Amino acid sequence: MSKGNRDRERSAAKRIVEQQKAAERRRAVTIWTSVAVVGVLLIAGLIGWGVLSRQESNDASTLTTPSVAVDDGTAFAVGTGPVTVDLYEDFMCPICHQFEIAADATIDQLVADKKITVRYHPVAILDRASNGTEFSTRSAGAAAAAAVGGKFSEFHKVMYDNQPEENSDGLSNAKIIELGKSVGLGDDFATAVNDKTYTAWATKVTETFSTRGYTGTPTIVVAGKQLQGTGGTIPTAAQLSEAVTAAAG
Amino acid sequence: MHLGKAWPWISTVARLGLAAVFLIAGGLKVTDLAESGRAVNAYRLMDYDTAKLVGAIQPFLEIAVGLLLLIGLAVRLSAAISALLLVVFIAGIISAWARGLQIDCGCFSKGGDLAAGRNTAYGLDIARDTGFLLLAGILLWKPRTRFSMDGLLMGER
Repeated sequence: MSKGNRDRERSAAKRIVEQQKAAERRRAVTIWTSVAVVGVLLIAGLIGWGVLSRQESNDASTLTTPSVAVDDGTAFAVGTGPVTVDLYEDFMCPICHQFEIAADATIDQLVADKKITVRYHPVAILDRASNGTEFSTRSAGAAAAAAVGGKFSEFHKVMYDNQPEENSDGLSNAKIIELGKSVGLGDDFATAVNDKTYTAWATKVTETFSTRGYTGTPTIVVAGKQLQGTGGTIPTAAQLSEAVTAAAG
Repeated sequence: MHLGKAWPWISTVARLGLAAVFLIAGGLKVTDLAESGRAVNAYRLMDYDTAKLVGAIQPFLEIAVGLLLLIGLAVRLSAAISALLLVVFIAGIISAWARGLQIDCGCFSKGGDLAAGRNTAYGLDIARDTGFLLLAGILLWKPRTRFSMDGLLMGER
């Protein structure tokens, strides 16, 4: 065997060893990076779970249920009629405002005639629509404070009359307090709004709403049955009256 | 046309694009987990408690996948997980569409029910997610990219 051939064989062997080493390295890198990816995803999932549990225990410990609330402490009743009408509304929701404009007089009349009991559920599902000021939660909490002050209906009305634009900052706490005072609420109301007394409660109302399978506002439920207009739209005042008459039997 | 040398660059663009998609999608949801849970609940595929948990975990998973793609660690596996997530999202949208639910898909928003009178855009949502799936497909097929942890660890230039 010549010297040249031996050199060639030696360098070929060296190349094979190098290739094997490189392949081994690639395999090791693939395995360990895959392990890392799975680990990162597990940790991410655990963080999500942890944040959720912490929020929930925090809400549970700060929960103040307004004394006047009905329906497991999640609603305010207006009227004493036999047919229960549940209204789930968000103070930021423009369609709720439209429904209020369209049906408010009819609802007042049905209440006055002692035909219905309206249970108002102030839910907060539109916090995203107030530039981070969480107007939905603040206003729902303020409604609880107004109910404790005995002025729920009045406050409810004045809040819709002054509804802010979606994706604005909403109404400031000072403005909410001013509106509350305009309907006869006092310093206890102001304190509850500023101290966020009913923030956790607003979350609970919203959770109850979701647990019941409702996802949008306004949700109108007459005698336990969700009422919708034609094609899934908001029912008209006439449709509401009909449903109440039907439920009364 | 000869694409051989261009592939790592094409894949790099796909990787960074997909990373941005997941980081934005997760980042938009992570600030309001309750809303994210309600968005999942709006699909009516599970009870609310489960939806709440899924809604809380999902944004963190999306951010994690986005970060993994951004640094380029185990690109083929990360792309496979992205593809799996996208397939689940597309299936969810199709099922909502088939059942006639009026919801916002929640991909780049908090989702939830749409107010009456506003139109859903299921077709568009599906087309967009399919586009993202295509990016994941490129990475599954050609996972070698520039500026990646994989490349660094493998000792590539």
